[in-house]
Amino acid sequence: MNPKYKRLLILFLILSILGVATKLVLMALEENIIYFYTPNELKKKYGNVKNIENKIRIGGLVLEDSVVINKNESIFEITDKKDNIKVFFKGQLPDLFREGQGIVAEGILKDNKLIANQVLAKHDENYMPPEVADALIKSGVWQGEKKK
Amino acid sequence: MIPEIGHIFLIITFVATIMQILFWIYNIKSFDGFTVHILKRSALMNFLFILSSFFILTYSFIISDFSLLLVSNNSHSLKPLIYKISGVWGNHEGSLLLWVLILSTFTFLISIKNSSINSKLLSSIIGVQTIILCLFLAFILFTSNPFERVQVLPLDGRGLNPLLQDPGLALHPPMLYIGYVGLSVSFSFAVGALITGQINKEWAQQMMPWITIAWSALTIGIALGSWWAYYELGWGGWWFWDPVENASFMPWLIATALLHSVRVLEKKLVLINWIILLSILAFSFSLLGTFIVRSGLLTSVHAFASDPSRGVFILIILAIAIGGPLILYALKSSSFKEHKVQFNLMSKESAILMNNLFLTTATATVLIGTLYPLFLDAFNGNKISIGPAYYNATFAPIMAPVVFLMAIAPLLNWNQTKNKNLSKKLIFLIVATFFGMICLYMIEQSSLFAVICGSLSIWLFSGVVTDIISKIKESKIKFNKLRQFFFFISKINLGIHFAHIGVAVFLAGVTGEQFFKTEYSGRKNIGDVFNVGNQSLEFKKIEMLDGPNYRSQTATFNLLKDGKIINKLKPEKRFYPTEKSQTTEAAILTGFLGDTYLVLGDGNKEIGWSIRVYFNPLVSWIWGGACLMALGGLVSILQNRKSRKIIN
Repeated sequence: MNPKYKRLLILFLILSILGVATKLVLMALEENIIYFYTPNELKKKYGNVKNIENKIRIGGLVLEDSVVINKNESIFEITDKKDNIKVFFKGQLPDLFREGQGIVAEGILKDNKLIANQVLAKHDENYMPPEVADALIKSGVWQGEKKK
Repeated sequence: MIPEIGHIFLIITFVATIMQILFWIYNIKSFDGFTVHILKRSALMNFLFILSSFFILTYSFIISDFSLLLVSNNSHSLKPLIYKISGVWGNHEGSLLLWVLILSTFTFLISIKNSSINSKLLSSIIGVQTIILCLFLAFILFTSNPFERVQVLPLDGRGLNPLLQDPGLALHPPMLYIGYVGLSVSFSFAVGALITGQINKEWAQQMMPWITIAWSALTIGIALGSWWAYYELGWGGWWFWDPVENASFMPWLIATALLHSVRVLEKKLVLINWIILLSILAFSFSLLGTFIVRSGLLTSVHAFASDPSRGVFILIILAIAIGGPLILYALKSSSFKEHKVQFNLMSKESAILMNNLFLTTATATVLIGTLYPLFLDAFNGNKISIGPAYYNATFAPIMAPVVFLMAIAPLLNWNQTKNKNLSKKLIFLIVATFFGMICLYMIEQSSLFAVICGSLSIWLFSGVVTDIISKIKESKIKFNKLRQFFFFISKINLGIHFAHIGVAVFLAGVTGEQFFKTEYSGRKNIGDVFNVGNQSLEFKKIEMLDGPNYRSQTATFNLLKDGKIINKLKPEKRFYPTEKSQTTEAAILTGFLGDTYLVLGDGNKEIGWSIRVYFNPLVSWIWGGACLMALGGLVSILQNRKSRKIIN
């Protein structure tokens, strides 16, 4: 094969691989991003929309006295001290799940309730998930951790 | 008093490195034997001082000297000895000290090992290593001093995060750091080549073992981390595409690309600029990995206390260590004399070139997935997360061709236009894979992706087998004597076969775990008998037990077969009073063909306990495969040493 064509062929190969990769990344980014809201942010953004098909993450504190655990599922409310959202969760709650603790729940919104497929709490007792901490500081509910 | 000595040692080394760098720059025009001699000696000195300093810190942890802030924050007098020691690097300050210890060790080893390197290159390499060392020492001394004293002496320490009190995790950071820091060697080789303006085949040969060591250590480090996440976090998975995992995976991908392309340079002078760029990139990703994890930019168990003043320092280090060489690269890279690329399309070189192309593209997709949420947050305050679905849709399809090529590339010859018997080998390969595919298809609940993933594993495995068989045929050796067998072994490139088989084993594990996993989750009470997949479990009892530094709620489950107990599973919930935290210990029955994995959740006698059970087929093959890959690296270093001795 003529060297010139060979070089063109290689260039073409490289470009097409990069092109396909870019396309894949863009498609995946469009479909697989999960947005994070606090209950108040969600209300501001979606207003009266009661159902959201795409997965979202809701973060905040577990509302005191809201936790009900029965045989099939756990029900609790997430609060940012302005708005609350009720969460239904069928799986196993994380070790550090308790009332007043900062958590993040992931799932779809159905009839203004979050049907969660995942509940995350971080590993450390003193630890607040950073998204939650940010949001709470922004809304003035919480002053943030005192630095040691 | 003793900790102050450790601190002073660090300060002395820091001042010494500055002087060494000045000396190095002063002599940069004319490196001679004398300069090398001085630099070698100072490498030894730096190493000894940092080693002593590290020992002093370790000693303070062992005797539980709580007058040190670091010890009182991260240790406890009741902790088992091994975790007192691993506690040294289970925190920000200590892990940085480990980092510089490994860096100075590598520098020292290069200075005594590679006597065959010409003095110009060796001086440049040691000089660049010293600059990195100096930057890190400054970082430690100014922002993260491990020897800081407390104001008020506490009665006892605050303990180490219970999740980190684990044998697998005691070894994970050192291995990972040997990998990260090992890549600094190839980085220094590259910058050294840019400074001296010389590059040749010997350069590639001398650099090869260092990359291989770094790559093997990185492989083991990542595998240990993944294994730990599997058995300790209790989520039943082994890789979560967590940003912190990605941070260690990206340097691995680039190092893998480098490992392959340097082999081309060993044969002929092509791809020089590309290899230099890759060397710089690999270490840049290591630095990025170290700092992304440590800066608290990303959150996970790895993110130790974050402090904004460190952020600026980190940016400065990154700018000098990555920006400097890249500018040098832009100025000098055009000066290298390279042979014109005359690749035959069906040659090993082009296969390796394709491998590099795919691997770097794959790295880019991981990088985008890792950093995109940070950028979006910085630009418009939107908080998002990117989960495994993104990586399955981007990374996996880009890596599939890499595995496809991996089976064929070793069958091709360097440079040659005609490959003997290539079509015969390929036909064998295709037939073997086809049979494998049919078997996979027959398995219950198998999906399209399961068949693709599994076939790639079989394809690769057959590729290695084909390669070995054809080499046996070509060598015309009769295996009637053990000596001839060893002779044959020493002839072939055993390391590569090990590593590639490792990938095949790994892929088999991934196929089993991803596509044939069975899962149950729900509440069960004492006395319940239930089925998961084709296994039957009985919830026997639940009790409170005391461990060395924790209290545990332990449940006992019987694994039944035909009504008989064949095994017991004891999942636990542990409460650590010192650290005031709770952990979940999954019960795992590890088998060659798969694991039974049981996690105990919350609960009480009225509503029962929440439990999760997984059957993960072939999951241990994932880490087994990684071990084989690392073993391949070690074997190839040993083999190369031997063959070089024979040549000499």
